[in-house]
This record gives sequence, C-alpha cells and structure tokens, in this order.
Amino acid sequence: MISLSGVGRDYIGRNGVVHAVGDVSFDVAPGEFVALVGPSGCGKSTLLNMIAGFLPPTRGTIRVDGEPVNGKLPDALGYIFQKDTLLPWYTVRKNIGLGLTFRGVPRHEAQARVDDLLKMGNLTGFGDAYPHQLSGGMRRRVALLMSLAVQPRILLLDEPFGALDMHTRAHLHRELSVLWRALGQTIVMVTHDLDEAVLLSDRVIVLSGPPSRVLLQEQIDIPHPRDVFTVRETAEFAAHSRCIWHVLGEQFRAVA
Amino acid sequence: MSVVAPDRDAARVSDRAWQALIIIVVVGAWEGLTRVPWFVANTVFDPFFISQPSRIAVRLYEWMRPGPQSVWPHLWLTLQATMWGLIVGVGSGFLVGLALGRSPRLARIFNPFIVAFNSMPRIAFVPLITMFFGLGMLSKVVTAWFVVFFLVFFNTYKGARSVEREMLDFCRTLGGSPRQILWRVHVPTAAAWTFAALPNAISFALIGVVLAEFVGSTTGMGYLMTTALATLNATDMFAAVTLLSMVGILLVSALTALEKRLLHWSPEFRQ
Repeated sequence: MISLSGVGRDYIGRNGVVHAVGDVSFDVAPGEFVALVGPSGCGKSTLLNMIAGFLPPTRGTIRVDGEPVNGKLPDALGYIFQKDTLLPWYTVRKNIGLGLTFRGVPRHEAQARVDDLLKMGNLTGFGDAYPHQLSGGMRRRVALLMSLAVQPRILLLDEPFGALDMHTRAHLHRELSVLWRALGQTIVMVTHDLDEAVLLSDRVIVLSGPPSRVLLQEQIDIPHPRDVFTVRETAEFAAHSRCIWHVLGEQFRAVA
Repeated sequence: MSVVAPDRDAARVSDRAWQALIIIVVVGAWEGLTRVPWFVANTVFDPFFISQPSRIAVRLYEWMRPGPQSVWPHLWLTLQATMWGLIVGVGSGFLVGLALGRSPRLARIFNPFIVAFNSMPRIAFVPLITMFFGLGMLSKVVTAWFVVFFLVFFNTYKGARSVEREMLDFCRTLGGSPRQILWRVHVPTAAAWTFAALPNAISFALIGVVLAEFVGSTTGMGYLMTTALATLNATDMFAAVTLLSMVGILLVSALTALEKRLLHWSPEFRQ
C-alpha cells in the first residue's frame, strides 16, 4: 500500500523557487495498477522518485506499507527507468542475476531463478548474449526481469516504453499485463501515452500543470485479462479515453 | 556475415598494398636521392644529416648482434623503465581518477591543483627529477609516471563521472551496497575510458623515459642518441628512432589485442 498526502516538491530554478509538485494526495491499494498522466513539467517522474526514496519531498508525507519514506529506499521496490540500465559488460544472464548477486543468493539458487525469469520474459536462448546484441524491446524486457529477480512487491515504471516503436510497445504491453496478473505487484506507471494508461491500468490519475495537483482519478473498469490488441476497439476504452482527454487536453492547452 | 567477409578481406589487402607502396616510395626516394651528388650538395638529402636507409639497416643489424656494440642492454633498460612508468602511472592515475570521479567534494577541492600541475610544462621538470632521483632507473620511471599519470587520470575521472544517476539508483533498488556498485558499475565504466587513454600513455611513457635518458643517464636508448649527437652520427640516431618506433608499434598492438579481449562487450568491437 502506497499513500501520498499533501506531497509537494520545490526546486530552485533560474528565476527563483519553482513549485513543480504542488499538493498531491492519493493512495494505491496492494496489487493495484495505477497510471500517472499529466502535461510535461508537472513532476510525474519527480513523484515517482520521491516514492522510491531517491528524493525527499519538500512538503507532505509518503508512506509505503505504513512506513514513512524520507529519502530512504523502501524494501522490495523495483524501478524501471526510461533510460537503459543494463550493464553492457555482463551477459543477459548476469544482468538478470545482478540483484541476486547483490543480495548474496547462493549461485545454484540464483541460476534456477534466472532460468525461470528468462522463460517468463521469452528470452530463453538469449542468456549468453550481451546487451548490444539485443533489440530495444528485448533490452526493456531484460531491465524488467532484472527488477523482478529480487521479487519486489512494488514496481515503479517511469515511461518504460517511451522510446519504443508501436509494434514493440504493443507486445510489451501484453507481456507486462500477463506478468502483472501472474505476480500481482502494486504498480505505479508514469506515461505520456494516454492509450497505454487506459489499456493497462486499474486507475488513471491525471495531474495538472505545475504546481501540480490531482485533477481526476478515473477508474478503468474494463475487466482483466484484457486483450491489448482488441480492447482499444471497445466502447468502454473510447469512453474512458474521452473522459480523461477532456481533462488532460485542457491542461495541455493551458501549459504551453 | 559470410557475404560481407570477402569484401572486407579484399579491402584489407588493398589497404596493406597502399601502405607498402607508401613505405617503398618514401624509403626509395630517401635512398635514391641521397646517392645523387647534385641532391647531396644542394638539398637536405645529404647522408651526413639524414643518413641513408641502407646504412641504417646495416647499423641495426650490427646492433642486434652480441658484443660490446649490442643494443639489447640499452633497449632492455629503456623498455623496463617504460613498463614500470606505465604500471605506476596507469595504476595511480586510475585510482585517483576513480576516487575524484566518485566524490564531487574531493573533485572540487583538488581541481585547482590538478589544473595547475597539468598546465606546467612537464619537460621542465625532467632535470629536477634527475637531480632528485639520480642517474639510474628511478629518474626514468618517475618521468614516465609524471607524464602518464595525468593522461590516465583525466580519462578515468571523466569515465567515473559518466556513470548515470539512473544506473546507480537502479542498482540501489536491486539491493547493491555502495561497495558492490563501485566494483560492478564504476570500475568497469571507468576502465573502459582508461583503456582509451592507453595508446597515448604508452607513447608518452616511452617519450618520458627517453627524455630522462637524454638529460642524465649512462644507459638506454636516449643515452645512445645523445652519444650519437656528440659524434654527429645521424645513422645511429635514425637507427635508434626506428627501433623506438618499432617498440611503440609492438606495445600498442599488444594493447589493442588485450582491449579486444577485455572490452568485447563494447559496441565498438562489434563483429
């Protein structure tokens, strides 16, 4: 369970103090998939960084499982960056096992776990490849598996599929959806892709431009499992998209 | 791959042919023109000044044979000093670069000193180093270290700083301790940058050692060259230069082979 109350974050810009995150409050239930959308500069990624404990909030409190997060990393948390975070000098297998090595998991146990993960990510046969030999979509999957290896209960995704083409992205949507249903993590995903948000999440939270606050929380009641290829054509999908766009588009127009 | 390979082989053969042709033309002109009396009298093509490829080859052959004129003891001492200078210079440059690259505070404190030291003309220190450390091996090693250190330091420093914050945060979420992250992220990243400085470091170390031998030494290739200068013997000088550049080429190609093995994961060496 993640809980934000009155969270804000300022930083010193060229023209004085900038209130990037104004006053944000929301809860995420265990096992829930929440998507954060908003105009650029509204501090979506900053919020994610604060939940992870990379940055302390200027105002308000963030709690993960009841424990306040104040610039310290909560346990059992996975974070996927938009940037590539594979170690290029290790094979796929060693990359996926990195967290297990860090945590001192015995070798044979780690090996078995990495084998499972490779199968789960449809990467069997690529275990001995180096990152530069993989496609962009494969590298994203490896980054996800690196996180999943240490069995996080919470996954924070920062525009995880932003740099991919539409085809690769659709496939990764399906895989993430399947993995999430199988493993049941709590997920908070920042995205600029409204379709992606509606497609995958249980709830879409729309933030305003800076200083940001929550404008809308749209419950997506399309039942799981969703077929990521056909759900886009349904009337519910269109209705949710239209409803969110109504609020979000207004913000896009206001924030030049 | 198999479709591309013959083209690549053909290109390589053609490159080699051109290289051979350039050498033949330059060496041929050198040998030929120094034998034409008019050129000897009116131009720089005078064997007294620039010797002659055939004379240099004969001198090299004499040097290679055992006896009091043998070049091996000198070459060996120069090489030894170069290797020690490289080991100490690369080692210390890497450690200091890594430490300062990881700590912005240390970097801020030491920055003015490093800039000051780096802008000093290093050659001016060679006599001083010779005064401090005497006419033996130690002066040569210290001189080589002095030039190699900064080269390696700056590259390693940049490398350590190039580690992205996202990478470090990601590793922290995977449970990496600062020490584990140092060994698995900082050291390999910095090492790749250090490697990029090594071909220059090798040449600089060699130059540093020969320079130290010029200033004060009774052994080594640099000593052979100052002796040749004292007797106005251009053939000896060119023979020494040829030998030194061959040593440089050998060291750099050994390094390239090592780099291909160690940095095989880098897209630079992609097949």
